[in-house]
Amino acid sequence: MKWLAVSALIVATGAAVTAPAFGGVEAMPGVADPLRARQNWILQCQGCHRADATGTPQTTPTMAGVVAQFLHVPGGREYLGEVPGVATAALSDAALAEVLNWSLIRFDPGHVPADFTPYTPAEIGRLRKKPLRTEAATVRADLLARFGATNETTKKTGEDIQ
Amino acid sequence: MSRLDKFSETVTRQVARATSRRSLLTLIGGAITGAATLPVLPVARAQTHGGGHGGGSGDHIAPQTTGNPQDPGDQTQCDYWRYCAIDGFLCSCCGGTASTCPPGTEMSPITWIGTCQNPADNRAYIISYNDCCGKSSCGRCLCNRNERDRPMVRPQANNDINWCLGTSSAIYNCSTAVILGVALEQK
Repeated sequence: MKWLAVSALIVATGAAVTAPAFGGVEAMPGVADPLRARQNWILQCQGCHRADATGTPQTTPTMAGVVAQFLHVPGGREYLGEVPGVATAALSDAALAEVLNWSLIRFDPGHVPADFTPYTPAEIGRLRKKPLRTEAATVRADLLARFGATNETTKKTGEDIQ
Repeated sequence: MSRLDKFSETVTRQVARATSRRSLLTLIGGAITGAATLPVLPVARAQTHGGGHGGGSGDHIAPQTTGNPQDPGDQTQCDYWRYCAIDGFLCSCCGGTASTCPPGTEMSPITWIGTCQNPADNRAYIISYNDCCGKSSCGRCLCNRNERDRPMVRPQANNDINWCLGTSSAIYNCSTAVILGVALEQK
């Protein structure tokens, strides 16, 4: 009887561990096909942002652990659709929305808001029509400056997710 | 006839008076040296050098094959399947391989990434063209193939720019073609 209880416990633990992992892959909001999103990331983004999205200080800003924080500041959500690398990528609106949602969840899960509304193709289509140009760096710096003010909420959201 | 004899005699005597035997030797010597240097001139070298724009190379590099039927071709030739969008000197000819840098150079982490079709299985593979940086241009096996290459206004998909970015030196040496994975089937 004791043996039965132990094996039941092992099976239950195994199920509990694997379930969220599988659920996590499928439950990427706004990402219909994670493999396709990853391939588009490799072909369109990775060359400069690097495979782990750490970027290069002088040329390409770090996305890992940072990018979803834009969703917490006013204007940040729009910025992510208007930044030149996103807006001018050689992808359809649908593919672009998918890869953007994917990269937020893949590279900065701790900062994705609990009530995150995924980007839709329509929203991306609207945002990319007016891409930022040389002013992108200034806009980004302004948004980054606001990160500090919203740090409390960000931290909380990060904990909620994890 | 005597007039012709007279004329030849005059000319011969004039030449003999005006020139020395040494100057004849100088002339012949010059001609021999000139003939020997002619093939060394840049014009002649350009002809024997086949290279440029995917035309293969005149460098005599031993063929490099993986021996793997899944990876056919000679990695020192421009028509090797992974080089479908390479622009530069092949690292295979410069002391490295198709996916590694020659000693003394550093591989750029910032790259341009495209796809090439493998003739062995007709599937598209994702290829990253990592430049090797830190020494002056290798100068051997120049290739320029441009499948899906985009103009300079789309720098992320352009192979004409120097991709020695994020390295300690921006000096370009040669290019590699690293397989990142198999591309998804297009629906």
